Amino acid sequence: MRKRIEKGRLVLIAALLTLVLGASSCGNWSFLINPLEISDSTATNELTVAAAADLQFAFAEIAALFEEETDSRVTLVFGSTGQLGQQIENGAPYDLFAAADRKVIGRLVELGLIEADSVSLYARGRIVLAVNRQSGIAASDLKELPGLPVRSIAIANPDHAPYGAAAQQAMEATGVWDDLQDRLVFGENVRQTLQFVQTGDAEVGIVALSVANVPEISWTLIDEQYHDPLDQALGVVAGSPRIGLARRFARFINGESGRPIMRKYGFTLPEEAPGAPGSEP
Amino acid sequence: MDSFITDWPPLAISLWVSTIAGFSALVLGVSLAWYLARTKNRFTVILEGLTLLSLVLPPTILGYYLLVALGRQGLGTWLEQALGIRVVFAWPGAVVVATIVAMPLVIQTAKTGFTEIGREIEDAARVDGCGRWQFFWLVGVPVAWRGIAAGGMLGFLRALGEFGATLMVAGNIPGRTQTLAMAIFDAVQKNDFSTANRIALLLLSISFGVILLVYFTNQRIARRE
Repeated sequence: MRKRIEKGRLVLIAALLTLVLGASSCGNWSFLINPLEISDSTATNELTVAAAADLQFAFAEIAALFEEETDSRVTLVFGSTGQLGQQIENGAPYDLFAAADRKVIGRLVELGLIEADSVSLYARGRIVLAVNRQSGIAASDLKELPGLPVRSIAIANPDHAPYGAAAQQAMEATGVWDDLQDRLVFGENVRQTLQFVQTGDAEVGIVALSVANVPEISWTLIDEQYHDPLDQALGVVAGSPRIGLARRFARFINGESGRPIMRKYGFTLPEEAPGAPGSEP
Repeated sequence: MDSFITDWPPLAISLWVSTIAGFSALVLGVSLAWYLARTKNRFTVILEGLTLLSLVLPPTILGYYLLVALGRQGLGTWLEQALGIRVVFAWPGAVVVATIVAMPLVIQTAKTGFTEIGREIEDAARVDGCGRWQFFWLVGVPVAWRGIAAGGMLGFLRALGEFGATLMVAGNIPGRTQTLAMAIFDAVQKNDFSTANRIALLLLSISFGVILLVYFTNQRIARRE
């Protein structure tokens, strides 16, 4: 009998230890005091920005700079332009939407969900042919792909991701789209597409230039004439309680602080000289 | 160390959402289980089948229709104006989803306990002047309470692990609706595998800790009885 009780104690101790170990790995317990604080969305200095996945790196830098200058907090939500637009149609509480094209923003303006006078162009993107460095594949031209021993080619889903649509156009323009059909894998957005190539599960992919500078891959620019311009527009979400701050962030992206960062990630504006972006492999 | 602190909002949101959802699933599930265990007709068979659906449905079906039902195209505007509650893309949405997926687990475990109460026991209680409400509290709950407790814990854990439908209904907004499961998804997409591993370990520790606790409590009670 005694033995069995001790066994029970042991299990209890193990259970408590697991809980404590698990919980302590996060270090901060202040949420226990007021868990609702975390879901408070009415604070006037907390901006929630929905951003297309190709902005991952550039916007992280810009947001950090903006937070410093304005004493605000910016929460970035990344996804494909189509998905984020869908969420806004369903009432997602975003303050600003930076899309990867003009179309979705235009539709949201028509629906009255984006403030028409806040819409501005903030970037023109480029796509690159990305190759996993360890795949042993050497490709610098889309036309080479059908002849190479490549099992999977990752692109973002052309149905709702603008960079995926551009990838499709480029493959069609170079005449390889039909040949490569059964080797294509679709990422949910350009960030996931990049990840497929980073892990090597897809040896090759077409991703945004703005996210291509990662150690695992080498890349080559794809000629702009092969696809429609990737003009990216942004707009303030109608009914946002932080319209002022959202407009300020929009100006910040296109202003003195934002432009250099955007250029660093290969985003040009139509009036800007097409700079030599990043560093090629 | 800084990145450790970024873990806590998802943890807080996860615990907050799953605790409320677990509790709601417990109350709703036990009531339904009580009804289902003691009434048998064509309607209850269909009802029980329906309650099991959320266990096997693709999360996308649940997520999509809840989004339609509770969003702008459905009750969303009314809920917001009349009650001041925003459901979709806010934590209440995550609670609704988690409650629905947790309920079948509560119903099934509680029902097993309730069906142990035979007709003759009920008749005996009636003869002794026991009302319906009293019968539930004085006979039903004491007999089935181990099943109820286990169901509640399982429901809590199921809510904690919920991902797909929650993503569609509540979104993946850091600091507001991003739960631990979604933080893992986010980290994997960013190729940040060390964060993903750390959050996964945290989630596993909590789940396994709760399972061990349930196991231990059950053992202890079994001995006492």
